[in-house]
Amino acid sequence: MNSILNVEKIEKYYGYKGNVTKAIDNISFKVDKGEFVGIMGPSGSGKTTLLNCISTIDTITTGHININNKDITVLKRKALENFRRDELGFIFQDFNLLDTLTAYENIALALTIQNRGTREIDRLIKSVAKKLEISELLNNYPFQLSGGQKQRVASARALVTEPSLILADEPTGALDSKSARLLLDTFEKLNKEFQSTILMVTHDAFTASYAHRILFIKDGRIFNELIRGEDTRKEFFNKIIEVVTLLGGDAGNVL
Amino acid sequence: MFYKIAINNVKRSFRDYSIYFLTLTIAVCIFYSFNSFEEQTAMLEMGKSTSEYMLTLNKLIAGTSIFVSFILGGLITYANNFLIKKRKKELGIYMTLGMSKGKISRILIFETLLIGLVSLAVGITLGIIVSQGLSVITAQLLAVEMSHYKFIVSIGAVIKSAVYFGIIYLLVMIFNQVTISKYKLIDMLNAAKKNEVVKLKNAYVSIFFFIVSLIVLAIAYVLILKNGLNSEGFLLIASLLLGVFGTMLFFFSLSNFMIHIVQKNKKLYLKDLNIFILRQINNKINTNFVSMSVICLMLFLTITLLFTMFSFKSTNDNMVAGNTSFDASSVLIAKNENLEENANDIETFLEKIDFTFEADEKHTFFSEYKLTLTLENLLSNYLSKQEQKEFQESYMLGALSAVKISDYNSILQLKGQKPKELKDNEVLVVSNYGRMNQALNKFMDNENTINIEGKDYAVKNDAPIEGNILTTATALTYFYLIIPDNFSGELQLDKTGYNVMFEGSDPKKSEEKFTNLFSSLWEDSTVDGTNYLVLGNTIDQVNTRVHGLSATVVFLGIYLGLIFLISSAAVMALQQLSDASDSFERYQSLRRIGVTEKLINKAILIQNLIYFAIPLGLAIIHSIVGISMVNEVFKAFSQGIIGSSMLVIISTLLVIYGGYFYATYVGFKNIVKSRN
Ligand SMILES: Nc1ncnc2c1ncn2[C@@H]1O[C@H](COP(=O)(O)OP(=O)(O)OP(=O)(O)O)[C@@H](O)[C@H]1O
Ligand SMILES: [Mg+2]
Repeated sequence: MNSILNVEKIEKYYGYKGNVTKAIDNISFKVDKGEFVGIMGPSGSGKTTLLNCISTIDTITTGHININNKDITVLKRKALENFRRDELGFIFQDFNLLDTLTAYENIALALTIQNRGTREIDRLIKSVAKKLEISELLNNYPFQLSGGQKQRVASARALVTEPSLILADEPTGALDSKSARLLLDTFEKLNKEFQSTILMVTHDAFTASYAHRILFIKDGRIFNELIRGEDTRKEFFNKIIEVVTLLGGDAGNVL
Repeated sequence: MFYKIAINNVKRSFRDYSIYFLTLTIAVCIFYSFNSFEEQTAMLEMGKSTSEYMLTLNKLIAGTSIFVSFILGGLITYANNFLIKKRKKELGIYMTLGMSKGKISRILIFETLLIGLVSLAVGITLGIIVSQGLSVITAQLLAVEMSHYKFIVSIGAVIKSAVYFGIIYLLVMIFNQVTISKYKLIDMLNAAKKNEVVKLKNAYVSIFFFIVSLIVLAIAYVLILKNGLNSEGFLLIASLLLGVFGTMLFFFSLSNFMIHIVQKNKKLYLKDLNIFILRQINNKINTNFVSMSVICLMLFLTITLLFTMFSFKSTNDNMVAGNTSFDASSVLIAKNENLEENANDIETFLEKIDFTFEADEKHTFFSEYKLTLTLENLLSNYLSKQEQKEFQESYMLGALSAVKISDYNSILQLKGQKPKELKDNEVLVVSNYGRMNQALNKFMDNENTINIEGKDYAVKNDAPIEGNILTTATALTYFYLIIPDNFSGELQLDKTGYNVMFEGSDPKKSEEKFTNLFSSLWEDSTVDGTNYLVLGNTIDQVNTRVHGLSATVVFLGIYLGLIFLISSAAVMALQQLSDASDSFERYQSLRRIGVTEKLINKAILIQNLIYFAIPLGLAIIHSIVGISMVNEVFKAFSQGIIGSSMLVIISTLLVIYGGYFYATYVGFKNIVKSRN
């Protein structure tokens, strides 16, 4: 069994007593090692919640999540922290950059907490910055960066450790098509060369077309699944648009 | 409705700002304790002059209390302003919900009232307990007996604490009203969103400023150390101003300087969360450089004040030893003009003013002479330049005093000691100069004879005999040669005097009788148109003057020291805790990218440690300079005090400052604790 991620019948409730939101309502799926999976769905459908639960930032109400055949819902705190630090790269929807640190320092933090050597840290940051074209911005603070630049810094931080599982929450949401392509190329490269597994939430059909498989979520449930198979990216893109329209998503959002 | 809001807010503040409450409570407690002093000490067995002295001490404490209330007022206003600022957003939301400014004002008033009343009540209760120990300490310091123990609640101090703190809280309320009325809704709502304005200062500029601050401080230190307290007023003020300026510049440039230095050291910079810690501290020190400087200077004052206090007390204790053997002593200073016979004799003088001793007032008379031999001559081989200077500054050079053995023996017998035998060619050395420096001791070790006017006298004792020949509060250092009765050299009568022991059943009555005698003679001792100079002390007067002085210094030192210490520690704690709530999101971000809880706690510890240690560190360096200056003044009689007093000062700092640090660390951890 080479599935790196195995989500079994998970549910997530927010609130308590009479006022409960079912953010995730009985979702199950598997992701194999080296897969690139996209997640799409309308706003509020539970995508971020799903990623948060997988990344152990949030806890699920019922069900199990196995990563590398380890049930992370029963893992001890310390093991969770190590897992998050060493195995996981998370690109957050709201970037999650530290406002007091420069871009360089934000990226460096992911490496310093892994106790990497100083030379290696510097080298890795420079190379990831070059790939995402943010070399010029490394000495800027987040408030001196545009939304798209922040998103690329956040991506650089998640990718610099070359994690085995990348969770990306709308990583191209604030990017123009050129920057989006740069980031997605980086994803593809990591996916192909390092067999990194990628789980990416997006509203954008073009971005989604980079994935091998797409899960559509609505009201906390899996609503549909699209597999790219032998399709070209263009064909896959068209299929995605169809499902999105079916979902009642805004087609204008997609172009 | 708004009472409920207020109470809920206070409840929450109790959790978030327990340190603020703690500080208020301790402040009230200290304030009460010192102001209850008068009543606390009423049970002590005090002579007339001690009682009079207590009045003065109480007045001094009352005066200091006014100063203290200004400091506390400043602290409370600062803290309150701080808390209000932090709650701008919350208050803004109340306003968008349709609450009027008036109502918000009332919430704030009610909150202040509640906080004030609780801290006042708890503080006074604590103060009442603490102040019970005060009378015991006072009895020790003043060397008086405590006849009976009573549990005392000082109503006066309760009222005073309530009034003083009431006024402070009232001012805070008014201050809040003014602040609130100035706020605009939009600012209040946006208050939490403020962008971190990082002053991107040029590396070289900050390094330059930092070096300038070090130079300025060095100049100030050198000026102070070179000139000491004796320097001209202008120089002293200039060096103090330089010190203050240097301190401010130091804190202004420190954090940027630190960042540039640490960034150069990649091993340190790119380790664990050091990047993050560095930025956290940088922000705080930079924006708070004024309060950091003030805190540093207050800590410096505290340390130096406490040290001065210890030196002073130790000097006094050291000097008074051996000077209080008799219940009362008096001398008549001899005049060399041609006077009638016995004009210089105090016994005759007493007859003239019709003063008689009671039978149980055992007494002896003595005469003190000046020799032709001087102290410089005697010790010339053993005096270093420095010691020569010390003796000179203490007015101890010049002709030596001598007392004949028969007088000396009757003095010893009055004290209940065995008389000494002295041959015609022998002398005794009676002195406490050995406590000042080593010159006399060396002399005694090396020389066996003293040559007076060509005749050698053998020194009979190996070490100087300590124990003055009279009770005195003014001339606490003494040197006498005890000479044979048939001494052949030149003798010039210097003083005649007597010592008394009160052996009756009512020593207080005699005490009062002699106190009255001495003070009336002090005012006017003209008899038959001749002016005599007659001085006298009772033991109670000496105790009051000497112990009273050190007690005053000790009490005021502790009072101010404690207030300074808790004030500065409280400001540090508040700044750190508010930083904690501002930084909550940052710590969440760290957790999300996989920073372990252990690393986060370590970062919090280091951050707080550095923040608390920096002003203390500079204050300690300042204090080393201040202490060496103070020590210069007192060193003659307080040798060896540095070690023991440092121990006390360091433990005080550890307990209070360290306690605040620890509480802040724990509170900080709680605030940024993950909430899911
Ligand atoms: N901390 C929370 N407390 C209560 N409810 C929450 C919380 N976080 C999310 N929700 C609710 O859970 C549901 C799913 O939210 P989620 O953030 O997962 O949506 P999403 O699919 O990521 O949306 P978007 O595309 O807008 O990012 C929403 O209805 C949201 O209101
Ligand atoms: Mg989302």
